Amino acid sequence: MTTHSETGSVFQSRKFTDFAPIKESLISRRLNASFILAPLAMKLVEDGVPIRIVYLGHRDGTALMVGKDSLIREFPDLRGKTVAIPNRFSNQNLLMHRMMKRWGMAPDSITLIEVPPPEHPTALRAGSVDGYIVGEPFAALSEVKGFGRPLYYTKDMWPNFISCVLVVRKETIDEERALVQELVDGIAKSGKWLDQNLEHRMDAAQIVGKHVNFQDPELLKFVLSKPPDRVKYSNLGPLRADFDEIMELALEVGVLKRRLEFEEYVDTSFVAPVERIDWGFDELPRPTAGDPGQ
Amino acid sequence: MKLKVLIGALVWTLLVSLAHVQLNVGWVTLTEVVREWFGRKRAVLEIGYLPVT
Repeated sequence: MTTHSETGSVFQSRKFTDFAPIKESLISRRLNASFILAPLAMKLVEDGVPIRIVYLGHRDGTALMVGKDSLIREFPDLRGKTVAIPNRFSNQNLLMHRMMKRWGMAPDSITLIEVPPPEHPTALRAGSVDGYIVGEPFAALSEVKGFGRPLYYTKDMWPNFISCVLVVRKETIDEERALVQELVDGIAKSGKWLDQNLEHRMDAAQIVGKHVNFQDPELLKFVLSKPPDRVKYSNLGPLRADFDEIMELALEVGVLKRRLEFEEYVDTSFVAPVERIDWGFDELPRPTAGDPGQ
Repeated sequence: MKLKVLIGALVWTLLVSLAHVQLNVGWVTLTEVVREWFGRKRAVLEIGYLPVT
């Protein structure tokens, strides 16, 4: 639990290991808000769940991984292979179809199977898939452990790729506007701070790895620095052009049944003009030379 | 003698209550309940996430 401000608001984060239980918690109102896959958010709106996308979690930060010693060198080599995706309603699924179309491959030329993100590296290591496409740090995990290799980063396949978005239940938007604004501003500020320099990213990896996600900080440092544009935390306001492209692909692939208007599933009113946000950051004290505590 | 018994009972009740809060309720929950009594309930937003980027 994080006491986020002097006004007494509390942001309570709940960690999940798959998107299905997040979806159920959103529907049953056990969650006010969540980071979920963009097409899944659209699907929930299509099904009548009262949620809106208010912000993005990050841009890029997904990689298509294959076995370190596999003979797969470019996308067409995946023909006839099995690739894990995080969810049918994920942009990773849409991206695979987008790539198949680009390379003139039939939509069923690669077998795509749904696997919860934390299990992707294990599936590759066990040989049950030939590759996987998922958000970090699960993509980098197989690379760091020495049995996986990135075939493509999303920045090379679909620049400024959107994976997870922040959705908020409609009644929370209506009843707790100030709180939602505080959350969105906080994400914007954190993103700007992260993208300021590599030192900030290393601090974040240390803190988040140790105290929030309980993941190896060294793995997170790798993700946030090799290369530094592997994942980006700037320009997180939801843009119509990006979502129109996702909508077209989702209809084409068949994960959505009807075309939704941008305003039906996105609320851009929380995207603050840059000049309105107080960008003052609380800096951590830096170790000095000879400091025995560091 | 009656006073001693009364003080003893009060101290015992206080200790048992403190142990109950510590072991069963939690100080954070108690603080929230007290804040609610005084009309200063904090706004809480529950946010789900997966530990991915």
